[in-house]
Amino acid sequence: MNELTELNKKKILRLALYAGEIMLKNGAETYRVEDTIIRICKSKRLKHVSAFVTPTVIMVSDDRFDGFSFIKTIRSRKTDLNKISLINDFSRDFVNSSMDIETGLRELKKIEKATIYSISTKVIWSGIASAMFALLFGGSLYDFVGAFLISMLAMVVSDKLNQLSETSFLANAAAGVIIGVVSIIFKYLIAPANIDMIIVGSIMPLLPGVGLTNGIRDFISGDLISGLSRVSEAMLVAVSIAVGVGTSLSIWINIGGTL
Amino acid sequence: MSLWIHFVYSFFATVGFAIVFNVPKSSLVYGGFSGAVGWTLFTTLTSVQVNTAFANLVSAVCVALLGEIFARIEKKPVTAFVIPGIIPLVPGYGMYSTMLILLQNDFETGMQMGISTIFNSGAIAMGIILVSSLARIFKINKENKVSS
Repeated sequence: MNELTELNKKKILRLALYAGEIMLKNGAETYRVEDTIIRICKSKRLKHVSAFVTPTVIMVSDDRFDGFSFIKTIRSRKTDLNKISLINDFSRDFVNSSMDIETGLRELKKIEKATIYSISTKVIWSGIASAMFALLFGGSLYDFVGAFLISMLAMVVSDKLNQLSETSFLANAAAGVIIGVVSIIFKYLIAPANIDMIIVGSIMPLLPGVGLTNGIRDFISGDLISGLSRVSEAMLVAVSIAVGVGTSLSIWINIGGTL
Repeated sequence: MSLWIHFVYSFFATVGFAIVFNVPKSSLVYGGFSGAVGWTLFTTLTSVQVNTAFANLVSAVCVALLGEIFARIEKKPVTAFVIPGIIPLVPGYGMYSTMLILLQNDFETGMQMGISTIFNSGAIAMGIILVSSLARIFKINKENKVSS
């Protein structure tokens, strides 16, 4: 196992790449992904590895060894902090013990499938979070109920659409339309709520606050390309939500409704 | 609203987001606590007429510091605490009102709102970076001392 045959080197690079892929898909920062890849390789005596990570691609290569390189493109990203923390533990274990590569790969496969909360738990808690936001911004009890229901609906719709289409634009815009339309319906047919509070509360789970902040962090730590792409992804998400909510509200205003 | 009510509301809001982001169960309370402290500090500062961008910076520094501490207690990456913690500070209301004002063809006020929203989110990022870079310098120094 400790001999560095060509096959072994390839396996180590693959394992490091796989770990990096899981981290990046679940929203880890760029420097953390690069750091993990290089640390895993170094612990198995692959000393001359360089890694280049952006939100859409990972490249790992060994410059002393026949120019072997591995590339992995990443299509979609979400935020799953549990997996990032599991990989963190895994890389610490892997580096400090003599775990062999096959066991490592099996561990990583297990981590990739790990879930802690069911979809329904997540939907309910996103409703609670939105409702709390409506209260924080000064909403009433009606706004609380409205934000709770509408945010859950928007989450379910955007989740389903995300599974159907590869681009997140459609899902976000559709969720925006639903938030806009249902809050107008809620106000005029069900309870005298404040549309502003309901909408602000319900768009909170969709907003790319994390993406924006991570993007600016990447910029400052010197990962310029990652910073650019994360910030523009966040902008795109924000614009697509605004398109959804804005369209429904402006149609309502144009047919003579008031907010 | 009294500050305690702010604290409780933002605690649950943060825990909710932490669950949406799959934060491990043992870290939920820590995440909620840092989010609630950040938001309460922010409301306190803005109620005594501190500039919102500066209030955001100070609260983000506070959230990031708490995150560094909790990360050491819980042996989890700092992100698991900082990402849910900054959520209450994210200027969602600013983004929404920018959009609403632009919709009503009032471009001047819209730009004003938009730029202040960007400033606020920049201030949050700055706060986090400030703490995490200092923490990294501290960590590297410690490692060097151990190895030498």
